[in-house]
Amino acid sequence: MTSLITNPIFQRELLDRLRSQKTLGAILTIAIGSSIMVMMRWPSEAAVDSMSQGSMQVFRPLAWGMAAAITMLVPAFPATAFVTERRRGTLALLLNSPISAMEIYWGKLFGNVLLSMILLSVSLPALMACFAMGGISLRSHIGPLVLVFFAMSVQYSAVGLWISIQSQSADASLRATYATVLGLSVLSVAPTVLAGNLTGIYSLIAHWMTAISPMSALQEITGSQAQADAIGISTGWPAFLVASIGTTVLLAAATLTKLNPLLLDRPRPVGRVLDAKNSGGWLRRITYLVDPEKRKLGIPWWLNPVMVKEFRTRKFGRLHWLIRLIFFSAVVSLLLTVVAATGTVRWGVERIAAAMVLLQVCLLLLLGPSLGANLIASEVESGGWQLLRASPIPTWRILIGKLMSAVWTLLLLLCATLPGYLVMSSIQPAISGQVSNVVISLIVLIFMVTSVSACLSAFSRTTAMATTTSYAALLILFAGTLLIWLARGKPFGPLLVERALLFNPTAAALAEMKTPGFAQYQLTPQSWYVGIALSLSCLLVLALRTWRMTRPD
Amino acid sequence: MGTSMTDYVVETKNLSKRYGDFQALDDLSIHVQRGQILGFIGPNGAGKTTTIKILVGLSRPSSGTAFIAGENCSENASKIKRLVGYMPDRFGSYDNMRVHEYLDFFGAIYGISRKERRHRIGQVLDITNTAYMHDKYVESLSHGMQQRIGIARTLLHNPEVLILDEPANGLDPKARIEMRQLLLRLSDEGKTLIVTSHILPELARICSSVAIVTGGKLRAFGRIDDVMRQLCPLRSYEVQIAEGEQVEIAANLLRSQLLPTEPVTVSRSEQILRFPTMRTERELASILQHLVGSVAVSQFREVASDLEDAFLSIASETASPVPVPATV
Repeated sequence: MTSLITNPIFQRELLDRLRSQKTLGAILTIAIGSSIMVMMRWPSEAAVDSMSQGSMQVFRPLAWGMAAAITMLVPAFPATAFVTERRRGTLALLLNSPISAMEIYWGKLFGNVLLSMILLSVSLPALMACFAMGGISLRSHIGPLVLVFFAMSVQYSAVGLWISIQSQSADASLRATYATVLGLSVLSVAPTVLAGNLTGIYSLIAHWMTAISPMSALQEITGSQAQADAIGISTGWPAFLVASIGTTVLLAAATLTKLNPLLLDRPRPVGRVLDAKNSGGWLRRITYLVDPEKRKLGIPWWLNPVMVKEFRTRKFGRLHWLIRLIFFSAVVSLLLTVVAATGTVRWGVERIAAAMVLLQVCLLLLLGPSLGANLIASEVESGGWQLLRASPIPTWRILIGKLMSAVWTLLLLLCATLPGYLVMSSIQPAISGQVSNVVISLIVLIFMVTSVSACLSAFSRTTAMATTTSYAALLILFAGTLLIWLARGKPFGPLLVERALLFNPTAAALAEMKTPGFAQYQLTPQSWYVGIALSLSCLLVLALRTWRMTRPD
Repeated sequence: MGTSMTDYVVETKNLSKRYGDFQALDDLSIHVQRGQILGFIGPNGAGKTTTIKILVGLSRPSSGTAFIAGENCSENASKIKRLVGYMPDRFGSYDNMRVHEYLDFFGAIYGISRKERRHRIGQVLDITNTAYMHDKYVESLSHGMQQRIGIARTLLHNPEVLILDEPANGLDPKARIEMRQLLLRLSDEGKTLIVTSHILPELARICSSVAIVTGGKLRAFGRIDDVMRQLCPLRSYEVQIAEGEQVEIAANLLRSQLLPTEPVTVSRSEQILRFPTMRTERELASILQHLVGSVAVSQFREVASDLEDAFLSIASETASPVPVPATV
């Protein structure tokens, strides 16, 4: 077996990307961002503070920011690695070459991991500056943090590759990968947080589910152990390393078992459909509500054909899937409300509302960028754009159809979580005004997410690149402003924090619900105006770009 | 509205396109009459796709004009899009869409009413012999099936002109024959077709006329017979010798009768001599008589030249000499 360094897959995955201007841009962004944070908190007096709170105030947002960056950026390329190769036909060439499946896999995995570690290494000087400021040790803070970042990169790359090898399209793979990463990093702590004191086998399962998430590890490393203990997620960073190695090994084994020529030996889908009058028995109709095998009628004149096409080309855009997704969201929303109402967890209405807002934001941020980023880039990638250009449909109809396909999906999801708010309003009628402000903030969030990602999509040639860029931009916008909020007081003053939060409708929603930490800010309606202005700017750029793309060369 | 003064359905006049310093198309003038099939031939990068893009309104010429059914292609792009059915070299597949949904979408963006669309989808699937694919997923179709659905898509809005970029590319022999029959059927129905292809024998069988471009310039244009007569004035002959040991004698006899510009090639295994010539039938009869008097000749026949010969003769004329690096 050739060594990793001489592995041609590894070289292609790593070196080709290192040569790109986008990688250079990412390196510069991380370097400048981390440098600014250190500069703002660097002590003016020439003395090291061994109890330094200042260094921790920089170290904490830096660590969480880098963790958020890994979560959002690392999975994108592995998520499209195998599915793109298969669709282009290059996977067949690789599997027919003398290179082994193991070498292909490790080449892809470590090519991606090393690239992310190179990007993260740019922040090392900032971490070492925290060390120089005092109060941060190599052994307790910086060393474990680097290990956790490495483990996260490996784990999320393995997730992406595993989903990619099973997926039929790049965008489906991206969505599934981000959903799984979200599940691993955030939702896996839910049993411990919500169920409280578990015993026996349930306690052990909940413990290792919590350990899979890096949240506890990061809280321990960034000195927030007390907060972690308060909500019961105190598994620590060594447990995370063990759990991430375990999941990586399992995922690698699962991927390798599929990485053989049999992967390409699949029958083509039969494409069976039934006419409406023969569409089967009552059980089918009850199960699906909307029968997926029933032949569709043509697109009616009053619907935008591009919008209908967008829904039909998404697996989850089909009505039977949309109904399930909305039903699931409604059930989760109501469950959270029931939890609040029955006092299982004594959080109070505000905290439950905050949890619901965060749940909605997670869902919208998970689906929004991938929906928006697919609008133009996937059309260009599939060759469909050329056909649209050659047709008489005007540019504005293409654009509206595409945007509405994303906005409607996200609005439907938002509507699905409204029953929870209604129940809360009936428990505590005083909050109904706040609830309507929260909903408006979330609608603004939907428009922001869709317009930003669609705008970036118009400048990308591949779906993977568009998705990664969209997640990165929204990460800077949403997580970045929350990081500034995390470092409120020091180094960032209250005015700067409030202005930064104006760019984040999530913060406006949390402030409306008087969530601890946000209650002191009055962000509405200014936050809505900022969001609408940003969305309109992006839409203007998108319209100009799309108009240019449909003009004759 | 710019109306052409001729009866041609497709016409370009002195069409040129420049990308920076690169001249993609240089003074191209061609025309196609209604119901004709024009074969558009050229090596990769010759300017075929550039011409097609100008014709379908996806590109503007740097100079010159192009008309389809009297409409100026760069000034009336929206009208042109309804007059032309364009099939690019990439199919343009969408995931999770069945064939009828795919065609329904394209029918809808061409503004065809739902009722009419359903009728047209049935029609075009019948024309292209693809009715059995109605419910199949588009992305699961084989390449040949996709090519036929691509043609069905171009026919949906019943355009006057079909412009097909490499429709036979990647098809197996049976599918190629079916494609050929389909294109001829469309021509019989009055459609005007412009077809590019690298498979020249296929084009030769269906095209009424051909245009050969290299390096952005039109090298030959007209009816196939005329183009071949123009490009291949030398006729090729084969002489089959009955006795193997007489092949060399016959070759020497032939060389003594012919000029150095009419080289004789010998295939000993086949016992055949070949030579190109511009001589008249009377002169050829004299050569044959001389030959028959000395050796046993079993056959003497003319070898018909084809479109490939014509294309190669142009390609070899226009190919710039490649400098050979000096060996050490």
